[in-house]
Amino acid sequence: MSTKHKSIGEDLWKTRTDKINAELFAFTYGALVVQLIQDYEDYAEVNKQLELMGYNIGIRLIEDFLARSSLGRCTDFKEVGEVVAKVGFKTFLNVVPSITHAATSKNPLAEFVELPEEALDGGLWFSNVFCGVLRGCLEMVQMQVEAKFLSDVLRGDETTEVKVTLLRHLEEEMPAGDD
Amino acid sequence: GIDWNPFDALYTELFAWRHCACIYYQDWHRTKRPKPAAEGNILPGVSSAISSRPNSHPEPPSRSAFSSPRSTLQSNSGVAVAYQESSTSGQGKTPTPSSSGLPFDEEAKLVYGVVSSLRNMIKKLSGRDETFVTYKTSTYRLHLFETLSGYKFIMLSDPHSDSMRFVLRQIYSGPFIEYVVRNPLMDMDSKEHGIDNEHFRNATDRLMRNLSVFQ
Repeated sequence: MSTKHKSIGEDLWKTRTDKINAELFAFTYGALVVQLIQDYEDYAEVNKQLELMGYNIGIRLIEDFLARSSLGRCTDFKEVGEVVAKVGFKTFLNVVPSITHAATSKNPLAEFVELPEEALDGGLWFSNVFCGVLRGCLEMVQMQVEAKFLSDVLRGDETTEVKVTLLRHLEEEMPAGDD
Repeated sequence: GIDWNPFDALYTELFAWRHCACIYYQDWHRTKRPKPAAEGNILPGVSSAISSRPNSHPEPPSRSAFSSPRSTLQSNSGVAVAYQESSTSGQGKTPTPSSSGLPFDEEAKLVYGVVSSLRNMIKKLSGRDETFVTYKTSTYRLHLFETLSGYKFIMLSDPHSDSMRFVLRQIYSGPFIEYVVRNPLMDMDSKEHGIDNEHFRNATDRLMRNLSVFQ
């Protein structure tokens, strides 16, 4: 099962994904975070905005993913994690985060980043956009999740870890009753 | 009603649905124009061809889809006064200005109602992973393609046509991804607005016209 996802992810990355220069991507994201910090002057608010942006990316990214991967519905949340890590992350970022074990997988957003003192004190989660992307993508396939950072090497932690909790499955909508 | 004309073997209608509301409509080679929806019964941004028009405007003469640079003209109030019309195939007849029996919103509601009922019935019979894909009557064939994300693409075609699910899938992974999903100005999850835009409409039109069945 896991090798199947691994090979799907690799195939999608190699054949069906347009590539962008990694430095350009990292610099663009960094400039965006800096701008948000200047605009909001409050790290908690910046975290929130990054998550919201991620959400708006996520609700679109999932369509892109579904269109190119043709994968069926996952049977349980464990499989969701597998598909997100081995196929999703691989297809769009060419990295495969580890699911249960804490391991330092390179974070393409944070490659050139060193956080200043006040950002560390202020509680900035630099890559918080990932949490929003996960929330947006999964909500569109009827899963309400909470995604948050537990640790970040940018903050001096040993690993970069995001925790995704399934809150509930969203019911399929029924049409409104007769007028 | 849906009218079938033996000279109109390439009749096709496309609906897209999200959150139980119709968000897009396009058709090819209908003999009769769909009757506009009653005010408020259809979301804005579905199709200018079936938006409600508070004043009656005479219908413009048909224009070829390829010769007009713009597909719609808007009056100051934002109500469409002209729309792209796909001309019927070359039998030399222009589409009659008369409307089909039902206003568009009722037609759409009927289509969705049938689809919804059949889906629920199949799920009860066979379980969560099964979904019906097509049915056929003496006058039309209905094809359903549904994404895991809740978009439903429905196509009505000539009853003798082959399965059009692959076409719906191509519309999804082609024009829809390119001109709706990747357009930051299109509201993806709106419950108040459809997804009609010029690029999407034209790209879908090109895709349909390039199908071998139309040649």
